[in-house]
Amino acid sequence: MKKALAILLTLALLLGLTGSALADDWITLRVETYDREITGLDVTNCWQLHYAQENFGDPNHIKLEFVSYARWTEGDLLTNALAGGTAPDICVTYNGGLVQQCIDDEGIWQLDDLIAEYGPNLVAFLGEELLGYGQTDHDGDGVKEQWYIPARRISVANVGNFIREDWLKALNMEKPTNIEEFTNYLRAAKEAQLAGENTMPFSFGIYAPDPLYNVRRFTDAWVDFTQVTEEDWFAYARNPEMLPGSKEGFRWLNTLYHEGLLPDTFALSDNDKANDTALIMGYNGFFSQQPDQPWRTDKNYQIELEKNVPEGHWVTVNPFKNESLGGKTLHDKYAANGLSIIIPLTTNEETAIAAIKYLDWMAIPENMFAMQNGIEGINYEGIDETLGIPYGVKSADAVPNENKMHAGDICFISNGLYYGSDEKNSAALALPFAGYEEDVVASYVDALTDAWTQISFTVAIQAETDYGSTVKSKQGEFLAAVVSCDAEKFDEVYDAGIQDILNSGAAEMIEEFRQAYKDGNYRGMFPGNM
Amino acid sequence: MQLKKAKRRTNWLARDWRLYVMLILPVAFYLLFCYKPMIGIIVAFEKYNLFKGMWGSPWVGLDNFQFVMKMSDFSSALWNTLWLNLLGLAAGFPVPIVLAIMLNEMKSIGVKKVSQTLLYLPHFLSWIIIGGMVLQLFSPTSGLINATLLKWGWIDKSIPFLTDGPHWQFTYTLVGVWQGMGWGTILYLSAITGINMELFEAAKIDGANKMQQIWHVTLPGIRSTIVVLLILSVGQMMNISFDRPQILGNAQVRKYCDVLSTFVYRTGIENHKFERATAVGLFQSLVGLVLISGANFVSKKLGEDGIW
Repeated sequence: MKKALAILLTLALLLGLTGSALADDWITLRVETYDREITGLDVTNCWQLHYAQENFGDPNHIKLEFVSYARWTEGDLLTNALAGGTAPDICVTYNGGLVQQCIDDEGIWQLDDLIAEYGPNLVAFLGEELLGYGQTDHDGDGVKEQWYIPARRISVANVGNFIREDWLKALNMEKPTNIEEFTNYLRAAKEAQLAGENTMPFSFGIYAPDPLYNVRRFTDAWVDFTQVTEEDWFAYARNPEMLPGSKEGFRWLNTLYHEGLLPDTFALSDNDKANDTALIMGYNGFFSQQPDQPWRTDKNYQIELEKNVPEGHWVTVNPFKNESLGGKTLHDKYAANGLSIIIPLTTNEETAIAAIKYLDWMAIPENMFAMQNGIEGINYEGIDETLGIPYGVKSADAVPNENKMHAGDICFISNGLYYGSDEKNSAALALPFAGYEEDVVASYVDALTDAWTQISFTVAIQAETDYGSTVKSKQGEFLAAVVSCDAEKFDEVYDAGIQDILNSGAAEMIEEFRQAYKDGNYRGMFPGNM
Repeated sequence: MQLKKAKRRTNWLARDWRLYVMLILPVAFYLLFCYKPMIGIIVAFEKYNLFKGMWGSPWVGLDNFQFVMKMSDFSSALWNTLWLNLLGLAAGFPVPIVLAIMLNEMKSIGVKKVSQTLLYLPHFLSWIIIGGMVLQLFSPTSGLINATLLKWGWIDKSIPFLTDGPHWQFTYTLVGVWQGMGWGTILYLSAITGINMELFEAAKIDGANKMQQIWHVTLPGIRSTIVVLLILSVGQMMNISFDRPQILGNAQVRKYCDVLSTFVYRTGIENHKFERATAVGLFQSLVGLVLISGANFVSKKLGEDGIW
């Protein structure tokens, strides 16, 4: 008896010892997580964290910790954290300039070996082509190294143009199919004062970080592709205002301005709020943003509009035909990569391995499904038998706080909901927008009609690092000037503006882009080849 | 003799040690937060590496200065900074003096207190809020002022307070004066309280009226305060806050509202080129030093006290 007790005690002691030894080999993995200030969702203590901890962390002796970074200042926050050596072990960012800086300054892990050894599922999910976006030949030996992991972008559509169907009905007009009809619609809406004296047919503002990004979707319709070579297209990657023909597009905006069809406050900073209000109050007859913009949870223009104008209805419209391309309606679309994932060098090797293991775990289909969709019966009603995608997806406020989640920000290797095939993915795009499925699908169809992939370069463009932000700022000034100047002074203002942009560094950028194109270091599409 | 000296030395320490202990905190504050960060200016002479920090980054001499000063925006940002500050100084410097004198002459304590508080109030508003108010008031067509004037038929085209360069400079200066005037009166009011009342009484007996009292007693009494504040303002001519021009400015008046702080933000911070931001900062400080020394020199030549 005594002997048995002794053995038992010894065993207990041994177990206890091993137990404490195990506790010691736990490591902490800190993961950057965007905070969009969604009411009730604490990203540092959310359902997805608990799920990942239970299913990935506990078995691997890894303690997961989500570090919250405000979504709209993430670049600045991450820069500070990287410089201060306090960055999370897995960092995610949409700031390409910052990633390039990290590569130049050699402050992040080179990931080739780590991915090869610990990331088979990750490689399978992303694919070699996509991984290529994260590869650069930094040391100049002719072989590209993997510096960051690009997330997979599920929906590449970028352009959403929307028109008021109820206004068309009131005006007894068909949906415009070309620019002339579209302009007539704007004029008729103003004439009929469809929203009283507040009527402002064209919702327009300047997006300060990149003023022409949302304007080229209009002005590209005027570009004369008989005069644009593929080389020019890539050389003017950041200067759509200099493409032959686009001048007339800016003249069109100038005309709209003088006819009072777009707001005279368009250039004022901080007018986003005013523009949002005008859209919701039903003052506008047209706006252009993202393809799912009217139904988004953070800014639901459609539902908010219905509260003020019960018959108000936003539908997609696609009038911006380019005659030199046989009437194609050009839309830019995203490249296949989403945000960039990096591991800073302040993270030790053991933790870097854990980081790749975590991403690899996330890439396994069952895990991704759970991390993106949550729990059946709580986050969604059930799974569609034929498609294999969830139905009855609950809106954020219909889910209890402890189950609130954000698919893209936390399961960040996939920007958008992924269900295994393109067909399922596009069927799922309309899922979160119950009641408006047809409108959403139509909008995505338009957005991907004659769509060309945005341009990027596979080498660092020094001139863009040096002058990119100055050129963009000048483009804002240019846009404000050419839209609001006196019609008879337009040519003069336009030419002076172009010269000003060229002088501020755009000339150097164009030259370097042109060289990168000649060297084959580019990605993207030339619409002239479509 | 030696002993006496040593004793005297211990005496002041023994006597006043509490005061010296109290001094430790402010001195430590200045060392830690004002002097230690100054070491960071070496970044201006380096090709700054985010991860190697200021001690590990390679030295490039004056390259950053050359690069920044060659940029097309630099000279206009420099000029705008000086010009907007000059406008602010010309329009804004006398206002607190006048206000302080007016407040001082008020008979009713109640009215004085209330108006003083109301005048201070804008100082505590952030520029974000003021920016919103400016938009509401000065927007073309829909802004309160333009909408009212248009309705009354006083104008037939809205006044471009925010969208035309010179108009914008006017609005910028006006809003700045409004925001800062109340706060600026505090020092003058305390300086006026410091004037010997007997001087006023003597002036009254000599038959001076209110205006003459102000001109011959009040103003000379606060002259040294005015001079010190003026020298300090001149030293600030190269410095401009970031939020005010950034928030009040817009793309339409970019040629007029782009100043050194917004230039630094764009070319230094947004591009992660901190060495360039530091270079501009150092340049600004050097010019500021020259200006403030010059103003001080001139004021001493004119027989005033100066600030050192």
